[in-house]
Formats: sequence, C-alpha cells, structure tokens
Amino acid sequence: MNPPPNLLAQPDAVVLDLPVTSGEAAIRALHARLALLPAVTDPDGFMRDLMERAAVSSVCISPEVALPHARTSAVSRLLLAVGRATPSVAFDAGHPAVRLVILIGTPKKQVAEYLQLVAGMARLLKNEKVRAALLAAPTEAEFRAVLARGLPG
Amino acid sequence: MKTRSEPAPLFLRRLMEALRWRLWIAEKLHPTEWQTTLLWAALAGFLGALASLVFSGMAEGIHEFLTGSSAGVVESMRQLPWWACIAVPATGGLLAGLVLQFGKKLTRDQSSTDYMEAIVIGSGHLPIRSSLVKCTAALFSIGSGGSIGREGPMVQLAAMLASFVGRARRFTPPQQRLLVACGAAAGIASAYNAPIAGSFFVAEIILGTIAMESLGPLAVAAVVAALTMRVLTNAAQLYHVPAFKLHSPWEMGPYILLGLLAGVVAPWFLRSLRGAERLFVATKLPLTARLILGGLVVGALAIRVPEVCGNGYSVVVDILNGNLGNLVFGFHLRNGHLVWIALALVFACKWLATAASFGSGALGGVFTPSLFMGASLGYLFGTAVNAVWPAGAADPGAFALVGMGAFLSAASRAPVMAVILLFEVTLSYDIILPLLLCSVLAYYTAKGIEDQSLYSESLRRKASEQPAAGLPAGRVADLMKADPPVLAVTARFAEIAQRFLSVRVNNLYVIDAAGRFLGVVSLHDIKPYLAEPEVAELVLAQDIMHEDFPRLGPDQSLSEALGGFLGITAERLPVVEPGGRLLGSLAKGDLLLTLVEKRKSPPPG
Repeated sequence: MNPPPNLLAQPDAVVLDLPVTSGEAAIRALHARLALLPAVTDPDGFMRDLMERAAVSSVCISPEVALPHARTSAVSRLLLAVGRATPSVAFDAGHPAVRLVILIGTPKKQVAEYLQLVAGMARLLKNEKVRAALLAAPTEAEFRAVLARGLPG
Repeated sequence: MKTRSEPAPLFLRRLMEALRWRLWIAEKLHPTEWQTTLLWAALAGFLGALASLVFSGMAEGIHEFLTGSSAGVVESMRQLPWWACIAVPATGGLLAGLVLQFGKKLTRDQSSTDYMEAIVIGSGHLPIRSSLVKCTAALFSIGSGGSIGREGPMVQLAAMLASFVGRARRFTPPQQRLLVACGAAAGIASAYNAPIAGSFFVAEIILGTIAMESLGPLAVAAVVAALTMRVLTNAAQLYHVPAFKLHSPWEMGPYILLGLLAGVVAPWFLRSLRGAERLFVATKLPLTARLILGGLVVGALAIRVPEVCGNGYSVVVDILNGNLGNLVFGFHLRNGHLVWIALALVFACKWLATAASFGSGALGGVFTPSLFMGASLGYLFGTAVNAVWPAGAADPGAFALVGMGAFLSAASRAPVMAVILLFEVTLSYDIILPLLLCSVLAYYTAKGIEDQSLYSESLRRKASEQPAAGLPAGRVADLMKADPPVLAVTARFAEIAQRFLSVRVNNLYVIDAAGRFLGVVSLHDIKPYLAEPEVAELVLAQDIMHEDFPRLGPDQSLSEALGGFLGITAERLPVVEPGGRLLGSLAKGDLLLTLVEKRKSPPPG
C-alpha cells in the first residue's frame, strides 16, 4: 500500500490550463480526470469527500497554491492530480488568486503516506523558482520535468 | 468553501519547536509509563525513610520522657524501681488508649488504615488522619516498653505517605496500590536497613509475586529508603555478629531438627497471640482499660525480666554475640546451665509479654519479636545439643542466627524473604546453607500445621467483610480511567501539537460533537513534520486519524483486554461503549499489574 515512489514526480494527471472560474470547479475538473482511473472505486464518494473536507477548512497552503484532499474509502491507492489555472481562481476569501491546484486522494489507512505526499508537495512548492517554472512550463512534459527536477534525490 | 483565519505563524513555529524538543527528550530518555513509575517509587522510598526516622526519634523521645533514661529499652527498664517497671508500660497503655479513643472522633467515616488491606483488597487509599492516630498510639505503646516491634507503624507511615502521593497524582487504583506497596517496602528497608528483604517482604507476603512489574518499583523504593537512612544516620547492618560457619557436615542433622522445631513452635506462637487477643476482648473491658492491663502484664514481667520490654533487639544482639552474662536479675552468669535456664525464662516471659501487648490491642509489629523468638529458640536448642554432643552444635550462636531465619520463615510464610533478611541484617554469608535449609523446612512444617501466617488471617477476614472493596471483578470498566485526552475532529495541527505537549501520551483520541470515538491521532505520525509549517496549516485531526485503531468495550474481561494489546505498541486503548461513545482509556500497565495481583488475591471466607 506504499505510494508509488515517483508519484510526486509523475502525477496521475496534469492539467495545464484548467478551464475553471472557481475553486470548486477546479476540484471537479481534476476529480474528473482521476475518476477515469480504476483506482477510483467510487467516483461520487470521492467527490463528496473532497468537497466535505474543503468545506471544513481551507485547503490552501499559500496564496497561489491549493491542496484539496480527502482520506476516503473511494480510492484504492494514493492519487495525485495537478492543475494550473490560467487565469487564477478564487478558492476562498483568504485565497482569491490560486494558480496551482494539487488534488490528493488517499485510502483511509495510508496516514503516513498521505502526510509524506502532502509534505513533499508543500516542500516543493515553497521554492519560488519551482513555482515560477511550473507556472511557465509550456507543455505537460516540461511541467512534469520541473516537478521531477524539483524533488530531492 | 470555508475561509479560515491564518494562525499566528510565530506561535505555531514556537509550538512546533517545543513539541520537537519534548519528543527529542522523550526519545533520548524513553521515559515509558513503567520508568515514570520507578521515579514515583523512588519518591515513596525517600519519604518512607524520613517517616521511619521521625517515628523512631519520637519513640525514643517518649521512652526517655517516661523512664528518664536515654539508654536502650531493656537497660532503662532494668534501672527502674519495681513500681516504675509496672507504671511505665501501664501509662503507655493509658496514653495509647486515650489517643485511640479521642482519635475516633477525628477519624469517623475514614476507611481502614491497614496498608496490607489497602494493597491487597483495597484501592490503595490510606486515610491520613486515621493512620496518624494509630501511629501516635503506637508511639506510646512502643515508647513505654511494650513488647512489640516498631517496624509495623514505620511501614504504616511510609505506606500512608506513598498513598498520599498517589492520590495527589490521581493514580489509578492499580498504580496507587503499587505505590503503597513501595511505601511498605521502604518502611521495612528503613527499619532493618535491608533493601532486598524490604522488597521481598512486600512481593512475597503481600503481593504474592516477584514479577518484575511490581518487584522493580519495590526494589527502587527500598534502595532509596536504605540509602537515605545510610546518608542521614550512618546506618550499617542491624546485627553485628561474629563469623559463624558450618563446623562440620554433621551439624546439618541438628540444624534440620531446629528447622522442624521452629516450624512447630511458630504456629503456636501465632495461635497464642490470637488467643490472647480473644482473651482480652472477652474481658469486655474498654480498649483503654485493655491496653492498661496489657501494660501491667508487661510491667509485672519486667520487674524481674526487663528483657521482655521492647522489640527484643538488644537481647538478640547479646544472644548472637554470646553475651548473655547479664541475663535476668542482673546476675553475672558464667555457668552454661544457668545461662540456658535464664534464657529459657526470658524466652517464656517474652512470649507472654508479646501475647499481652498484642492481645491488649497495642499497635505495633510482631516481626522483630519473631526474630527474638527464633534467636532464643535456636540458641536454647544449640546449647542443648552442644551439651550432649559438642560436635553437633559447636557454636550455639550460629543456631540462634539460623533459628531467627527459620522462625521468621515459619511465622511469615515467606522463606525467601526470611533468608534474605537474615543475610542483610547480619551480612553473614557463611551460615547460608543451614539457614536456607532450616527456613524451607520450617516453612513446610508450619504450613502443614496451620495454613495461616502472621498476616494472612487479618487479610482473609477483611476480604470476606468487604467483598465490594476487593480487586476488580475483571471487567475493563473497573480499571478504566475516565476523561482521556481528546481532540475534536476538526482540531488543527497546532492544537494537536499543544495537546501532545500538555499530556504525555502517544495517541490522542478523536471524538465528534456527541462524544463518539472516531479514531486516534498518533504522535508517531506527525513527528517528522513538526518543522513544516505548511503541513501544520493544512492538516486537521480528521486528515490523519487512524479510524481502525483497536478499542475495548467496558464489559470485556481483562484477559480479552490483554488480547487487545497484542500486536500493537500502544500503552493505552480507548474504552468505547456499544453506542460508540468514548468512556475512557485502559492502560496496559494497570492491566498487567491487576492481572499479577489477581494471581494471589486472598481466598474468600
């Protein structure tokens, strides 16, 4: 049940131009991409858990980055989707201009792996250069390459 | 989507830093619940030693006040005129009676003060006022020369202080019982400067087990107590004895006979104490009058045989050193036959005096008087054998030493403790072979005659009188500690960290608004991320709680609960009622202690 070691560098889905105007729409768009995967056993349940978690407390970790996530029984492994919003979208009143949206789905039992993934992503996106490179990446391949380069080791 | 206000970053950073330090210290020192218990045991040992010192000093002060002499009990009684020999113990009885009588008003509604009862069949609670009243009464009985040991009240005081500490720290009943047991071990260790015997006294006699779960804290308490006594009083071994040795293997024959003899006499000694108690009660006199009467009996005997006064310590020292010239009437006896007769007389009078003191209700111990009985019996037996077969008992003093161990073994039904105590109070190892054999023989002989020890009867009686106060019936709810530290399901990382800082647990229980148990947040999980404020700002309790954490039901048996701890490292498990509401938590340490204790709970009836 360990997460794939390259999950951070190789997300399940990357969407460079999220065609959305709100945080909720961004979550729905990324969820729609993940829902196609066999690891999502209950797409509706997954969506419900994501929205419930976002309703409890903000999921933004910086003015530009949101990390909607859910520990849910609707997925069978850790899932990661990364999206870039152009222009920015408002997630909540405190975060009106989010550019990067990282969506995580975690099986209920994988607490340590979930924390590992969240911390890894937070560490990566704390780096201003990485953030700028991700926002400027012209293609999905380049976007993924920036993610891979930004990771330690 | 919900908006939240940003937590103060500086506060969060400091909080994380504090938690990181606490974890660093915890990891370096690894203070588990058991190790923390050892620290409290050490405190109980220290307090126990101080209590013993104070009691001892006060008993000597009262004796000096009543007799006008600062010499030992026997010596000062020897110097008194005949009427004072009678008056002093009788006055002591009167004062002890008055203390008990007036103390009753202060101690209404207080539970039993017996430390053994508190450990074995109670909750470990020893009431302070009642204990102090009884120990004050004991001071007068002992200070006036009553034929009774001072170790009893010393142990009582040490146990009471330990109980006080346990209550102040809001220990669970099993922890409290263990701490009181530590106090008792400290009391014995202080009284006899014998830390190993102190530990084994409680382990073997009271707890009935030498499992490390209990023996470890007992040993720590006893060592700290003995160390405190050595630092504050320069205490050394209690009895300085010449080097005894086994002169020839043939001596083992008489030693075997001595073991059998001690095994026969000790039960009769105990029966006589109980008989005397019944006799005094049958007089229908009030307690104060009974105590005066007991004092009069001791005093009357002391006119001619002052050796009956006190716990017999000085006479035992004389016996072990063969210094019996001054026995009885102050005559300088050189003739071995006369010495034998004189000691036999002291033996009989001391028996009678101890029965009178004990029977009249004087509070004190019969542990040291038992040592006296054993030493006299052994010396008398050794001298008799020596007279008819010199090679069979070359040194009657050695028989006295072995007799002490054998008699104590038979009376207390704790042969291991008896052997260790004898070794510790004399530091004489050469005699270990006959001592060990005699103690075991005496134990089995006494057990065959009567299945009651110095301590078992009172415990059995109390257990049958108070079935409800006994050990837990065996349900999780009986041992559970209510109000465990909890978290709301929406608690932020900062709040989680703060809770972990304020309570020393490895798992915090997550509950919903209705108090239903949802899961646990593990310190182990969050530890690697304490330096990462982004994680701290994002994560809630619900994001990281383990919902499949094992839990116990309040009606589960203790053995089922033990099964719940198998395969996990948690020191506590949540107790959850069938409806899901969190009731409390059960500590593995409490569970193990209780299961160990239950192995030797006193039989009913």
